[in-house]
Amino acid sequence: MTKKLDMKEVKVALQRKVAQTYEPVKPAKQLGFIHHNVDCIGCRACEIACKDKNGLPPGPRFRRVMYVEGGQYPDVFAYKVNMSCNHCAEPACLPTCPTGAIWKREADGIVDIDSTLCIGCRRCEAACPYGAPQWNPKEQIVQKCNMCVDEIEAGRKPYCVMACMMRVLDIGPIQGLWDGSHKTTAIGPNDKPVRQVKNFADPELTRPSIAFVPHSKGKV
Amino acid sequence: MKPIPFAIHDILNPARRSFLKTTAAGAALAGAGGLIELTMQDKEAQAFAYEPHYTDDQLTTVVTSCDHNCGSRHMLVAHKKGDVIVRLSTDDGRYQENGAFGKDTVAEPQLRACLRGRSYRSRLYSPERLLYPMMRVGERGSGKFKRVSWDEALDHVAKKMIELKGKYGPTAILDQAYAGTSYGVLHKSDQIEGLLARFLGLFGCRTNSWSVPSYQGTTFSSRMTFGTIEDGNEDDAFADTKLMIMWGWNPAYTFHGGNTFYYLRLAKQKGCKFVVVDPQYTDSAAAYDAWWIPIRPNTDAAMLAGMAHYIFANNLQDQKFIDKFVQGMDAGTMPDWAKGQESFKDYILGTNDKTPKTPEWAEKICGVPAADIRKLADMYARTKPAALKASWSPGRNAYGEQYNRMAAAVQAMTGNIGILGGCAEGVGKGWHAESVAYPYDENANLWWASIKSDRWAHCVLNYPNVKREEIGCWPRDDELDGKIPNIKGIFWHGSDWFNQLTNINKEIEAIKKLELVVCSDSTITPSGLWADVLLPIATHFERHDVALPWYKGHYYIHRPKVIEPMGESKTDLQVYTELAWRLEALDPSLKGLGKRYNPRAERNYFDNPDAVDEAYLVAWWKKVQDHQGVKMGWEEFKRRGVYKFTFDKPLVAFRDQIEEGVPFETPSGKIEIFSTTLAQVKDWTKTQYGYPIPAIPKWIEPFEWLGDVAKVKDHPFHLITPHPRWRTHSIFHNIPWLRETYQQEVTLNAADAKKLGIVTGDIVEVWNDRGTVVVPAYVTERCMPGVAVLFEGSWMDLDKKGVDRSGNPDFLTKDEPSPAGAFAYNTILANIRKSTLEHRPGWDSVATSRSYIFRRDS
Repeated sequence: MTKKLDMKEVKVALQRKVAQTYEPVKPAKQLGFIHHNVDCIGCRACEIACKDKNGLPPGPRFRRVMYVEGGQYPDVFAYKVNMSCNHCAEPACLPTCPTGAIWKREADGIVDIDSTLCIGCRRCEAACPYGAPQWNPKEQIVQKCNMCVDEIEAGRKPYCVMACMMRVLDIGPIQGLWDGSHKTTAIGPNDKPVRQVKNFADPELTRPSIAFVPHSKGKV
Repeated sequence: MKPIPFAIHDILNPARRSFLKTTAAGAALAGAGGLIELTMQDKEAQAFAYEPHYTDDQLTTVVTSCDHNCGSRHMLVAHKKGDVIVRLSTDDGRYQENGAFGKDTVAEPQLRACLRGRSYRSRLYSPERLLYPMMRVGERGSGKFKRVSWDEALDHVAKKMIELKGKYGPTAILDQAYAGTSYGVLHKSDQIEGLLARFLGLFGCRTNSWSVPSYQGTTFSSRMTFGTIEDGNEDDAFADTKLMIMWGWNPAYTFHGGNTFYYLRLAKQKGCKFVVVDPQYTDSAAAYDAWWIPIRPNTDAAMLAGMAHYIFANNLQDQKFIDKFVQGMDAGTMPDWAKGQESFKDYILGTNDKTPKTPEWAEKICGVPAADIRKLADMYARTKPAALKASWSPGRNAYGEQYNRMAAAVQAMTGNIGILGGCAEGVGKGWHAESVAYPYDENANLWWASIKSDRWAHCVLNYPNVKREEIGCWPRDDELDGKIPNIKGIFWHGSDWFNQLTNINKEIEAIKKLELVVCSDSTITPSGLWADVLLPIATHFERHDVALPWYKGHYYIHRPKVIEPMGESKTDLQVYTELAWRLEALDPSLKGLGKRYNPRAERNYFDNPDAVDEAYLVAWWKKVQDHQGVKMGWEEFKRRGVYKFTFDKPLVAFRDQIEEGVPFETPSGKIEIFSTTLAQVKDWTKTQYGYPIPAIPKWIEPFEWLGDVAKVKDHPFHLITPHPRWRTHSIFHNIPWLRETYQQEVTLNAADAKKLGIVTGDIVEVWNDRGTVVVPAYVTERCMPGVAVLFEGSWMDLDKKGVDRSGNPDFLTKDEPSPAGAFAYNTILANIRKSTLEHRPGWDSVATSRSYIFRRDS
């Protein structure tokens, strides 16, 4: 491409874009996930519990346990970063949806999707910096984690959390998880939760509701 | 996902259901800001429907468990609609006595299922599910079958059984049952005393397979050293150790006990230090932040000897413990009848062979720097209490029993046995459960020949020119002693052994010589494809039973019939009972066989087993109440679905021996580092071992290893074949959910791979003189140079040239076991090169692994 961008035009375009940005829902309480990156054995029971609960075919993975490794033999390290949907304060997926299938719940800030309204345009998938919306090739629609709202409404926790064999994955009010005031087995006696780990998109983009206990090599 | 093969209509409370659906959809619409007339039709329950989710009150909740060949057992809670299980959850603390949602204490932790357990619906409703009796129509192994009636299948099997027994005698049928179909108290497929063993035994024709693939070296060691395989602590005891040395142990992948991995996390939080001795930096090493000591495969006994040398040389051994409880650790503890023979200390210090087993000596063999050997030995000798967990996998080697015996010696010399926070494992069997509800008597394990399990092909191919020691004939005290069995048929029960034993190419030659191959399973397995008759067995969701863990874990889980048996499947007890009745009808000498095999059953058991199964289980529960002090009644147990035992203090193996002076179950009553039994053998060929085994543990050079300069020239990689996490042996290999989370791949060290020009994702051939397999490569710094890792259990998929495209390492393994019976699964030299051949991850193309997408280099 040889054409030089006219920065003035870009500015106008950006302003137009900002003007279109919607006012995100400010929930009464924001729920979020927490994951201990070190103590997680990476077994992916959470992933399979989620697939089973949601009846997913091979392909879409609402929850994804990422394996990170580094160092040089024999001084190596490895840890896991476990994410599904981060139920962001300013979800990037939501405004991209042309049919209004995605919305943020006022009570708990969960970003839910009604896949019956999905036309499969996949814009949300492209917009999300965390890869949360998942394409279902069989149904030709996008689906994603809704933190098992049905379980939460029944006073329980999502299937992934209840599946965790190491008790390193949990949910809670995100502010309490970040400042350590919310009691959870995900945080050990000497652990300090953080909002961001290495290789993780800048939280300022969408303000994701997730906390991690990081590996020493995963801190930013 | 294919729809389940039958339609279910449930009319339970339809009005309420449609109301709930309306509100759920309405919430979504409110968010979208519109109102649409709702005209949703009620749908049939589908096993894998995405939306809408049924709510609890629309579903029936049934507590059950997982059920496959693994050392653990976890709760599954089936949520069903009509006769379809629509989702599974697991223990959340609600179901036990005094339970509540979220209850999860150290004494009564939740029994949360792993990824394999959570995928069970996929297995239950999988396309590979065997639903009807089938008989082979093509050549054996061609995979061509026709559906037949139960009558036809069972009459054929019964007729052939009688024919084989008449023509070839009582050793003609080889029992290759294993633990794949079921592990319950009533429906049990098992190698030693399962339902098939008693059936063939009562029929009067059975060659037994005595060596257990998983841990024969370890079993041998535990029996020789402690006189029992019950050398395990319950898993909560791990939370009290200060130093945990995980020798080849990866509890992030393989589970013994419901919560071992979790208790280890609690230990870590209390300050326990972890060490992992393994050729790989495993996920356990990562999660427990361990000091990783990479070691050459098959050299563990040498490193342990080096540690023992350091401990003796610095006088760090617990001499008081040795003098009181150990036989043959040193000259002073040798029994009178063996005074002057070589003690363990003599061997370590080199008194007789003039080779002290110093850390430097060990370094040359095992590749671990002498300084690290010293450091670890020092840590282990000075930290109290400390656990050296000597796992099974380094024992699955040539002379693997020497490693386990050596580890036991090091455990004993530091006095870490019988104390909380210590460890004597070994086999690691902990709490003793009431495990048998099925008919059990003196006929449980009758046989007319008993051989090492992975020598059957050798025996069949060379019969009658086979020496008894070559196949490990178990001695008898009658005229059949040492008689080579004339094997003409095989029965598989919950067993995929054809895919799982060593040197598959040799097995393929041997199976062609057989006249009857019967496979009873709930899945069409790779072994099943080589059978003549396939008998569909109902899964544990489709029959009544009680589950228990194998090795650790003190609980029972009730397993009701959650759904009706699918297709025409029957329980294994039904099938063998019916066969017994039919054999009786064909052969007058077998009069009463049906009733003897299943005393509670009548002739109609094949059609309706419910009342009889209930009666067996009620009688079993009575034993539980009488022997284990359980107050809960059978009806309440059934209602709750789980019973968890609690103890005053964690169960520790040999606590009574150490605290109260109860003798060990060995001939001497002591921990036998110098084995009374082994020292007294005169003619090794007349033993089941066939070849000499030293009375004290020693480092013995394996059949093939990285120290063998001549062999390494052409085969520079030592291949190890550990257990994968996304399968249990070969079980679950066909599950797309699991296959997309991990992939069958060969792990290579980054420097090695660079030399070969291989990067992650490249397809490579791994080969040696015994076979060739094709797999993708995973290149990492987490693997020791010179070592390659290929997980066991992928479903063999041969091309026309006999190359396995699935990457099953047992095309490369040697079918020569260690003298003590240990399978040499990890004793393989091989070579690796880039390949243009296609790797086939599964029989179908539903899911291919995307695990590499979720890998990041930091």
